[in-house]
Amino acid sequence: RYVRQLQRLQLLFSPTAADARGARQFVEEAALDFARRHPDVVLYVSPRSGWAPLLLAEYLNGTVREELIAGKTSEEIAQLATKLAGQSGLDIVRIRKPFHTDNPSVQGQWHPLTNKPSALTIQGPRLQPQ
Amino acid sequence: VAKTSLTSPPWPEVELPDPVEEAKYHAEVVQKVNKMIATGQYGRLFAVVHFASKQWKITSEDLIMMDNVLEAECGDRIRMEKVLLVGADDFTLVGRPLLGKDLVRVEATVIEKTESWPKINMHFWKRHNYQRKKIIVNPQTVLRINTIEIFPCLS
Repeated sequence: RYVRQLQRLQLLFSPTAADARGARQFVEEAALDFARRHPDVVLYVSPRSGWAPLLLAEYLNGTVREELIAGKTSEEIAQLATKLAGQSGLDIVRIRKPFHTDNPSVQGQWHPLTNKPSALTIQGPRLQPQ
Repeated sequence: VAKTSLTSPPWPEVELPDPVEEAKYHAEVVQKVNKMIATGQYGRLFAVVHFASKQWKITSEDLIMMDNVLEAECGDRIRMEKVLLVGADDFTLVGRPLLGKDLVRVEATVIEKTESWPKINMHFWKRHNYQRKKIIVNPQTVLRINTIEIFPCLS
């Protein structure tokens, strides 16, 4: 069971500005394909004039990511959209370990006294014979 | 010849057991382990898997991240071959170097395909007016190990 972490994608562009040409082409051609390929992502397309073209991505844990799409071609916007769809809403910060386990030890964690004979069975030149 | 302090090595001499008895003992142990696997008496299983040029020690339900791009889409189930070791609470199965595919089955799902944090790659020489700055972003994939299963067909 896999749940996609992307909730909605809001595409905000203006119908007249020159830098939103790629966004308009994407909406005309590739937006339907993208929506069909990712059926669990809601895609909102809202034209508004006077604002820079933006691609807003909201994730299930509440983080909102804005990406400027001014001056990009429709293929680049499609690639961006697929990349955002594959991400989760966690911050992109340096992660210290590339693995995470809830149960790190199965056979018991090693401590310096494992695999050593106990003091009753030890034989050495120092212990006196009893 | 007289015995000095250097005639025999300082560690205690170990006598190897009879090969016939050893073979019987091995067969007994294998039977016991087979019975345990068949009845399902093991609890949590861990495995050592060679993946993306690294060896990972994995259990079920844990996360792994690679610094590359896999050809699978988000949400695909992946079966990992190249299992080197499988262990449970009471026994371990060691492969030489790999275990058979009909013995172990490790399944994982691709959860996320993101990019890493932007790393800065800068060269600077002082007094030479030379500096180059480059921001490197690597694609990463996050996998979650779903299950590790073993099947009782030892020999």
